[in-house]
Amino acid sequence: MKVRLPMLLMALLVLGASLTLTLSRYGYSFQDRDAIQAASSPLHWSGTDELGRDRTVRVAAALLIGLTGASLAGAITTLIAAAFGLLAAFSNRAIAALLIFVSDVFLSLPWLFLLMMARSLMPLTASPLETAVATFLVLALLGWPACARAVYSGALNLRNAEWMIQGHACGLRKRQLLRMHLLPHLRPLLLPQFLICLPAFLIAEANLGALGLGIGEPLPSWGAMLLEMDNSAMLMSSHWVYLPIILLVIVLLILESISTQVEPHA
Amino acid sequence: MRNFLCSIFLLTGMTIAAFPQAAPRQPGELAWAIHYDPSTFDPVKVDDQVSDLVRYLTGGVLLRFNRQTQQVEPQLAESFQLSPQGTQISFKLRGGLTFSDGSPLTSADVAWTLRHVLAPATKAPIADEFLAPAGVSVETPDQWTVKVHLPKRVIGVEKIFDEIAIEPANHPSEGRVTAGPFTVSEYKRGQYLRLARNPHYWRRDGTGVQLPYATGIRLDIQNNREQEAALFLRGEYDVVDGPSPDYYGVIARKSPGAVHDMGASLNTEQLWFNQSAQAALPDYEKTWFQNRGFRVAISEAIHRADLTRIAYDGHATPAYDFISPANKLWHNDQLQYPKENVAEANRSLAASGFHRSGNQLFDAGGHAVKFSILTNAGNQARQKMSSLIQQDLANLGMQVTLVALDFPALVERLMHKQDYEACLLGLSNAEPDPSSMMNQWLSSSPDHPWNPSQKTPATPWEAEIDKLMQMQASTPMQAERKKALDRVQQIVADQQPFIYLVYPNCLQAISPSLHGAQPAILTPGSVWNIEFLRRDGGAR
Repeated sequence: MKVRLPMLLMALLVLGASLTLTLSRYGYSFQDRDAIQAASSPLHWSGTDELGRDRTVRVAAALLIGLTGASLAGAITTLIAAAFGLLAAFSNRAIAALLIFVSDVFLSLPWLFLLMMARSLMPLTASPLETAVATFLVLALLGWPACARAVYSGALNLRNAEWMIQGHACGLRKRQLLRMHLLPHLRPLLLPQFLICLPAFLIAEANLGALGLGIGEPLPSWGAMLLEMDNSAMLMSSHWVYLPIILLVIVLLILESISTQVEPHA
Repeated sequence: MRNFLCSIFLLTGMTIAAFPQAAPRQPGELAWAIHYDPSTFDPVKVDDQVSDLVRYLTGGVLLRFNRQTQQVEPQLAESFQLSPQGTQISFKLRGGLTFSDGSPLTSADVAWTLRHVLAPATKAPIADEFLAPAGVSVETPDQWTVKVHLPKRVIGVEKIFDEIAIEPANHPSEGRVTAGPFTVSEYKRGQYLRLARNPHYWRRDGTGVQLPYATGIRLDIQNNREQEAALFLRGEYDVVDGPSPDYYGVIARKSPGAVHDMGASLNTEQLWFNQSAQAALPDYEKTWFQNRGFRVAISEAIHRADLTRIAYDGHATPAYDFISPANKLWHNDQLQYPKENVAEANRSLAASGFHRSGNQLFDAGGHAVKFSILTNAGNQARQKMSSLIQQDLANLGMQVTLVALDFPALVERLMHKQDYEACLLGLSNAEPDPSSMMNQWLSSSPDHPWNPSQKTPATPWEAEIDKLMQMQASTPMQAERKKALDRVQQIVADQQPFIYLVYPNCLQAISPSLHGAQPAILTPGSVWNIEFLRRDGGAR
């Protein structure tokens, strides 16, 4: 299969990150204060950051947190989009128009500012884990309308398909139609939608973090690591400071290639 | 989804710095960066650092507080005399003074300026320094003499005249007609401010050459410190006033002779807890923050040497007191303060009813000790200090979350809503005299950070600080003032309402092609003797 290589690469990355976290003697928040901005060494393979934290461990943790968060957010978004799209496609014309109008309103909202606003409403004492959950949840709750439009148009085609009409004529109940015909046919449409969400959410978290509104310290995130690079003095200190962004680009490329190669064939 | 991504890219793309460019330099012109637009050119309305700098460079003053010797020197006034009771100060003006437009400067202009400053309608921030501005009167017995009568003694009254720029009577010009070394000549909002040399400036150097040496000054409005450092290294700027430790390091690597670490500044960085009874916090949290043992334990757990080494790249000095050791006249050398000692911190907490269960600290009521520390976004040193303190306090079992807010949001929470738990910020001390710090120490002051605007002092030690600060501000006896201030320093060290962290060092970068610089710790740092600064080949 076409997707086998990128899937394999992704599996290797996740395995490597998990092993790094399991085997490393340092936690992601441990500050080795005698090794500030240390160069690559057997103790710290890719050196340390400006607080003496092991860069390899932090990048590995950021990768796992980012992928887990983006996957969960992607799943929520796809579920919301599927429910919304199906409801609109199988409702009467007035309700469908209303639902489409709602999704259009969502599409025309200034997302970035809404994201920033929603994220800044978090209580100050929210723990880093809570901020991570909130960040991805906000992304999931705001990212569904484009996906819902795609599901709506796919479901509309399915509703008018001859085999659906025949199934209906044969006396299949709505639940049976949904389970036996609709969902299997929608799956090739939902899977690419889910896969498109992953890089989008990863990069959105990274950008929110770079604006100082992402996952709270000391939990590692792409955003916080990109924020560190907003300092030319830091960039000159070691080539390893580019590791987070290089890995982010690699992960995004793999995810993009997986999502573009999983073609919908409904 | 794609649009959503694009909008995020666009916004972050806007923050990417363009290649640095500076306006062309005119012959003999000095240039450096200011970080925001001056809010006013009216010398009586000054209330921010950049406007203050413009006033310093353009304003002719009766007396100047020498930033290096820390002594008051006569300027437009040839001499001055303070009466023994401290209620009258007389100035004798120099002969032949003129403004930059050639018109004569007499006692009438001085009297008009002083009355203008004192008038309630002017709302001049400096007027409050006279303590009772409404009772101050000005008299001009002749063209060269000005007498100022004060209703009561004001300690250090001479220094107030360092901030009063004399303007032509009835013709205030917002810095375009001055009696100082420069005048405002061109201003492009958000781009630059040009100052031109005052051809009628009264002062000459030892060889009789009229000052200032420079033909003008261009102040670029430039908030990007990276570009500022790059333009300095390209020779476009003559000074960088207070570069951050990162950019200090960058400049030092490329031009080691240009950088000056002048040691501890007068400024402090500190952590404090919200002790306000009106704060929107649970009662048990207020109890922690009002508990001396809790605050002392935190002070004992913070490794200040790590803060200076890691957050400031070594360009800071550990702090335990609000008076920096650079302030030799007022620093308390005998101060007893809580030393760094984690075991002692744990004992302090246990004595205050806290207990550990695993890695978490709980209070006597069983509440887990968790709180957030606010600081301002964009200040790398403060954010690094917060992260280091987060780890230090984790050693005590405290869960600390860090929140970086933009400055307006931070001020809203601190000053107006008192909606915060702890805050890490710095305080700039423009001058060494403790009277200038009254607003933060008096419990009734709205600027008393940990518990502002108290009707009556909330604690006996705050009442004692009030009394001592009022006393030092009203007695002329230096020994008594010093004794009072030593006691205030000791109370603060005992009670730790402010947990002092570091004194950032005073850092300066001065171009090797700039001559005459004698960098000082007090603002305006490297350009305090502006009349004597000149560039290679830039002499008139």
